[in-house]
Amino acid sequence: MPVLRSIRERFSGEQPLAGLKVGACLHVTAETANLARTLAAGGAEVAVCAANPLSTQDDVAGVLGGDMLVRAAHGTDPAPGQAEIAAWGPTVTLDDGADLLALLHETGSVPDGFLGATEETTTGLVRARGLGLKVPVLALNDARTERVFNDHYGTGQSTLDGILRATNILLAGRTVVVLGYGTTGHGIAARARGAGAQVIVCEVDPLRALEARMEGFGVMPAVEAAAVGDVFITVTGVPQALGAEHFARMKDGATLANAGHFDVEIDLPALDAAASERREVLPLVEQFVVGDRKLNLLAQGRVVNLAAGQGHPAEIMDISFALHALAVEWLAREGGSLTPGVHQVPADLDREVARLKLASLGVGIDTLTDQQTSYRNSWS
Amino acid sequence: MSTTADPITTQDFKVADLGLAEFGRNEIRLAEHEMPGLMKTRDEFAASQPLKGARIMGSLHMTIQTAVLIETLTALGAEVRWVSCNIFSTQDHAAAAVAVGPDGTPENPQGIPVFAWKGETLEEYWWCTEQALRGFAGDPDLGPNMILDDGGDATMLVHKGTEYEAAGAVPDPAQAESEEFQVFLTLLQRTLTEDPQRWTKIGQEIKGVTEETTTGVHRLYELAQRDELLFPAINVNDSVTKSKFDNLYGCRHSLVDGIFRATDVMLAGKTAVVCGFGDVGKGSAESLRAQGARVIVTEIDPICALQASMQGYQVARLEDVIETADVFITTTGNKDIIMADDMAKMKHQAIVGNIGHFDNEIDVAGLTKVADRNTIKPQVDEWRFPDGHTIILLSEGRLLNLGNATGHPSFVMSNSFTNQTIAQIELWTKNDEYDKQVYVLPKHLDEKVARLHLEALNIQLTELRPDQAAYIGVPVEGPYKPDHYRY
Repeated sequence: MPVLRSIRERFSGEQPLAGLKVGACLHVTAETANLARTLAAGGAEVAVCAANPLSTQDDVAGVLGGDMLVRAAHGTDPAPGQAEIAAWGPTVTLDDGADLLALLHETGSVPDGFLGATEETTTGLVRARGLGLKVPVLALNDARTERVFNDHYGTGQSTLDGILRATNILLAGRTVVVLGYGTTGHGIAARARGAGAQVIVCEVDPLRALEARMEGFGVMPAVEAAAVGDVFITVTGVPQALGAEHFARMKDGATLANAGHFDVEIDLPALDAAASERREVLPLVEQFVVGDRKLNLLAQGRVVNLAAGQGHPAEIMDISFALHALAVEWLAREGGSLTPGVHQVPADLDREVARLKLASLGVGIDTLTDQQTSYRNSWS
Repeated sequence: MSTTADPITTQDFKVADLGLAEFGRNEIRLAEHEMPGLMKTRDEFAASQPLKGARIMGSLHMTIQTAVLIETLTALGAEVRWVSCNIFSTQDHAAAAVAVGPDGTPENPQGIPVFAWKGETLEEYWWCTEQALRGFAGDPDLGPNMILDDGGDATMLVHKGTEYEAAGAVPDPAQAESEEFQVFLTLLQRTLTEDPQRWTKIGQEIKGVTEETTTGVHRLYELAQRDELLFPAINVNDSVTKSKFDNLYGCRHSLVDGIFRATDVMLAGKTAVVCGFGDVGKGSAESLRAQGARVIVTEIDPICALQASMQGYQVARLEDVIETADVFITTTGNKDIIMADDMAKMKHQAIVGNIGHFDNEIDVAGLTKVADRNTIKPQVDEWRFPDGHTIILLSEGRLLNLGNATGHPSFVMSNSFTNQTIAQIELWTKNDEYDKQVYVLPKHLDEKVARLHLEALNIQLTELRPDQAAYIGVPVEGPYKPDHYRY
């Protein structure tokens, strides 16, 4: 993670986070540990809890726990740990799903001197907006670097990785149905095609749907796609993207996976109700017998890229967490002057992350000449 | 442009317009740079003149790239006469430049006898073929001793002519199964009355044919199987540097080029059906997908069908997608792929085109009986059905990449034509080593063709160490693969 490392080196010298109490509710992976240590290197006191019961890497949590307060264990309910960290009195929170933010608001216990929060996901931002925010929240997910790298490249790659690890199916020749053609859906669809699958996209947004069609993907209502797909991947951000009417039409052996944040996109109660029998056939693969057909649900409908794969590759998380680190630094400096509500990440933070990443790759780029700059500006 | 078939012209060539020669020569000059295989072959054999004494009759699309081939053959010592193997594929400026030659002028043509123009009638087409098969060395009765064929029409004329002369009669043209075969039989009826031994004598002089394409090769193997092949043949098509390049990468380039020039339609978002997933179909499907079209493949061969599926294409039957697709392309090499009944069911303004060798993949004859033609521009026709909907047919169902665009690009054709040149040299100089069978070029020559093209692309080849070569059991200098290797 060369980008985060370069930030950590600068933080160690400048100590820009001195005095900060940072509560991080994230997927507790090796990459997250790097972020936590970077923040600590910048002078902050850091505490970590899990945003998901299945995404914690226990060895990482163990090692990190030697340095800071860590409350996370694979396969356990994350709620008690989250509550403990919320009560610990953070002045900055990092969320992946708005869990800490919700706790602070719901318990009415926003600590004094609270500077601001960051939120990693689209879903978390929707949830945050619904809380009646009393604090400023930086929408990291909307940042350009996040969108492009995390969603498109990171989730795009790791979702298929998770499905392959769980099932070992050959994608070539299969029909992959991608529900939702947002940034993540783009990444998944492109990679599924690259692996030789026929890709069908299901959308509610006509612009996204047209975009998919212009890329040459099949576009149709989910209820039609249900009958022809071999693998279904939900990345919609809404509940019941796949429900009873879809399960009823699916082919024998269809595989269902979710790469959206919460486990609501596949209607699990409906699937359970439709099934005469369910059993685990492989780790993280549960077979539901629906009529004379068997449907395979991966990772209980939770984010398949983290639950069955290893989440984003470190390079992607490097970029993502570099943005987190710079966002915390920015909140430490500017948080006190921000109004409550959702704020966009300043563009220079984005540019700085991309600049550091390019430097780590040894890639040089061009700079506008003064003449070019004034030409461009002459239009405005 | 000439549109009627003259008797033998006073000048020993026939093209649309000699005034296009300078334009043609300029494009030939540019193409030479893009055809390093041919130009290096010219250098290699300039002194030894291996084709000296060869009288080559060529029947192959008269394009700029073919002009570079023709001038390579003459540079190696051959006497050459040429026709196009398709009524729409001639580039008139290329034909003019070949007729004028590098040293001539339109007023004083010094090139080789070429009989070709874009938009020949079927009568004109076969008349042209006949002209190129006689008249060598200024003697109307002297035919070629080598044929360079594309699709096998010249070879067929010699074989059928010989067959009917032996029988003493030509079948009744009125009973022919197609308009084209009717024209063909009518020509042979005439030659039989002019000289009852013309084709027999020409056939006896011919030492071999080198065949360019899948369709012609198929004809040759059939003749060989029936012991009816009159002379040895080299199947150039199945050189790896031909079929895996020309058919695949060439079509990948020129299919969408032809569709765009003809219709300017946006392919992104459209559904395109590719009939056939051989080398041509594979290239076609890839280029359509790259434009953002959703591609559906039809196949009869389970291996090719599975290949298409593994590359993520939907594989379906034509009848199941006929009403929903926007573009239909035939690449099969078979006949009767898209019939008039099919076109009657298509969406309004569906585009229908063929990139297989012959024009029998799309049922144009049937279409004329049930729909009315409205020509939008040359090689682009809108056909209106009684219910009011129309389809757009490209190049009257003939090779649309050549009819609507300019065929394959020079670099790909340099691979194909270097194979042709090497095959001509091989058959001409080692004729006694070949029986009346169909051969493919040996692997080391195939590898040589590829080698000749590396430098132009700055390709740095890794060399085997002797111990590595020994480890896999090949010579350091190749050939590197067994003959059955499929690439």
